[in-house]
Amino acid sequence: MEVTENVLEIRNLVKDFPGVRAVNNVSFDIKRNTVHCLVGENGAGKSTLIKILTGAYNRTSGTTLLNGEAYNPHNPREAREKGISTLFQELNVVDQLTVEENLTLGMEDTTFGFLRKTDKINKMISVMNSIEPSVRPWQRVSTLSVAQKQIVEIAKAAATESNIIIMDEPTAAISEREIERLFTIIQRLREQNVTVIYISHRLDEIFEIGDYVTVMRDGKHIDTKPLSEVKDRAELIKMMIGKTVFEQYTPKEETAQEVVLQVRNLSNHKLKDISFDVRAGEIVGFYGLVGAGKTEIARAIYGADRYEGEILFNGKKLQPAPDKAIAAGIALVPEERRSQGLFTILTIRSNVPVMNLEKISRHGFINSAAERNITAEYIDKLRIVTDSAEKEASKLSGGNQQKVVLAKCLFADADLLMLDEPTRGVDVGAKSEIYSIIRQLSYEGKSIMIFSSELPEIMNLCDTIYLLFDGSLKATIPNGDDVDSEQIIHIVTGGE
Amino acid sequence: MGIIKQVSRKPSFGDHMSNESFITLLMIGVLFVLFSIAAIFVPNFYQPQNMLNLITNNWFIVIIGIGVTFLLITGNFDLSVGGVIALTGVLAVYFSQTANASQNELANGLGLPYGVAVVLALLGAMSIGALNAFFVVRLKVPSIIVTLGTMMFARGIAQVITQGAQRNTSLPSEFGLVGNLALPGTSIKLSVLIMLILLVIAFIFERRTAAGRRTYLIGANADAARLSGVKVGRHLTVLFIISALLAGITGILLASEFKAGVSSRALGYEFDALVVTLLGGVSIMGGFGSVLGMLVGALILSVVTSAATGLLLSPDWQFTLKAIAVFIAIMAQGFALSRRKS
Repeated sequence: MEVTENVLEIRNLVKDFPGVRAVNNVSFDIKRNTVHCLVGENGAGKSTLIKILTGAYNRTSGTTLLNGEAYNPHNPREAREKGISTLFQELNVVDQLTVEENLTLGMEDTTFGFLRKTDKINKMISVMNSIEPSVRPWQRVSTLSVAQKQIVEIAKAAATESNIIIMDEPTAAISEREIERLFTIIQRLREQNVTVIYISHRLDEIFEIGDYVTVMRDGKHIDTKPLSEVKDRAELIKMMIGKTVFEQYTPKEETAQEVVLQVRNLSNHKLKDISFDVRAGEIVGFYGLVGAGKTEIARAIYGADRYEGEILFNGKKLQPAPDKAIAAGIALVPEERRSQGLFTILTIRSNVPVMNLEKISRHGFINSAAERNITAEYIDKLRIVTDSAEKEASKLSGGNQQKVVLAKCLFADADLLMLDEPTRGVDVGAKSEIYSIIRQLSYEGKSIMIFSSELPEIMNLCDTIYLLFDGSLKATIPNGDDVDSEQIIHIVTGGE
Repeated sequence: MGIIKQVSRKPSFGDHMSNESFITLLMIGVLFVLFSIAAIFVPNFYQPQNMLNLITNNWFIVIIGIGVTFLLITGNFDLSVGGVIALTGVLAVYFSQTANASQNELANGLGLPYGVAVVLALLGAMSIGALNAFFVVRLKVPSIIVTLGTMMFARGIAQVITQGAQRNTSLPSEFGLVGNLALPGTSIKLSVLIMLILLVIAFIFERRTAAGRRTYLIGANADAARLSGVKVGRHLTVLFIISALLAGITGILLASEFKAGVSSRALGYEFDALVVTLLGGVSIMGGFGSVLGMLVGALILSVVTSAATGLLLSPDWQFTLKAIAVFIAIMAQGFALSRRKS
């Protein structure tokens, strides 16, 4: 086979959906054995482009050349067979099976219906071990971390001789330390003649790992260039959203507000003796690696998980149940947007008022006009991109889904808002919009708790930063110019 | 720039209605087609009296279908309704039969006034609903298993009380009243009127109330519902008890109509109720469906069975015909919904 310089050439690619052109005449090349980053806001057309490349969608028009030959997969299997594998955000592993069973899933070799262990399996296991020796073939996948599950998928892709591995937000759910390891793996893949198409909203990563970057906006191709020619984040962001966004933490004027939330000696299966206060109008941040106990603190306060210890809200002991927490004035934006926050099969209109149906009802009867009005109001206020309030929530992009969840919680009229990974998988534009909403709420005197594994988010927003490691509160830092991010990383990775 | 290509399409029929309304309209279409076919081929089908019968004959399935629909919308089954009908009827009879009336054990009851007997029998029905709720909500047992158990439990008690047969003697005269009362000047029974009233209440509950909305939230995503402040356990408990109460009311009406408490009454009604809800487009995945759809489903079933009788097919064919109707209708729905989504 003649080796072309470009592993993939995309020419005049178009994808139309009813009422919208999601991919608009896109053309660019991907060079062989590079890490090619794809960036753009949610709704920019990245996901649609990827779905065309992996055979999940059929194109409307245009051509793609893989190794110089026409490439038009009709389903994901065909794409895999031609050498394009994908590491989706929602991983394609079966929790109940072992690592080995997952590796061979769908390509088992059998004799008279009995499974046979072949060279192919041994090769996959050796590929996996060369990437990550700590994963054992007989381990059940449910016992692995998200990062380890990714490694299982990467091993599967690498062993099936993929030319191209597409990674869609691979770092969204893994810790900083695991990210470093993933980057080592990506570099090793590149040395083994694999091209990686890397999609992420975390721009720092792109500068760290990428060779080339393609920017998309509103379905159009904006530019493709080597990252060495991109000056800084600001330049990239400018290309992505067409305007410059620059936000930095600005300390509030010092006014001693009253304490609204008191947490004393909070302990449970994950947490160890955690105590802290939250004041009115304060934004507090909880930072730690995945598994440090951030989500568990939020869920305990909310009454979703059991705990020992005492939680006082406005001086009164909180009854441990979500409906009691909401009634007391607390709302939670949960970590898992689709499974815990959103009613995906219902419309936006049915989603927005659910935490406070009483507000739009009289004697238990819903006032439809009020419901429509408040939904329109929040679509407008949070700039939710949709053609109708009657759209199913599942059909919205990730950022817009998160805004619907946020709208739900804002409508609850809470005095304390807990946001667990509020901008995970959300594009840069929506992110800064969510940040300004959070700031606005705090000016209005609401207390905000942010649980995040993104340090820039915490440093950008929070007045007080709590550092967690392995279920314990390790340090409390007032935010300001003198905050040392290296020291923070040191603490949350277990340093003293 | 040349001509800007128009990518938006004209809104086609049905774009602005909810999927529930779409499915209901579709099933009304199916009903109309089946009705027309029957009217052409079945002698005496297109007669006012016969058409009225189509609506009124299945009142008991529609009443229990209301409870089954709401539970299915939350993602839960209720297979106990048939057993509860039998149990309630038997209890009402047993409570109101004269005490020490004769040597025959089946003729002796508790001799309670009819009103008291009815209230106690309905309480018995509701306690079956409470039992369902306890297992499903507290012990987290899947509802299909729990209600399969209580289905047999309720009918089992009815069999014990009737010694496997029925009780129909030494009843007070007012026992046969409510089930045989007709609206003045018509042949429409009180039971049908009760069905209509319950339908209207259910429709308003579904479309207009916060509690109705919560029913959908639980079915759409029970976790998210709990985290959004819905008292999921309490809501399911109330729905299970209401479903059992509706079955209980049906049981009282049927026992009164036949002036008997029969332990084998309403055998298989739980499946008929499930069939009509599915025909009406209620999703077994939860979060989707409507009472109006269920009513249309009941009418479809009514047309099919009535046409079969009119064609003098032997009753042996009824199950097969029902099965075919169910398959066709449910495939049509799946097809229509997937077309609509793409």
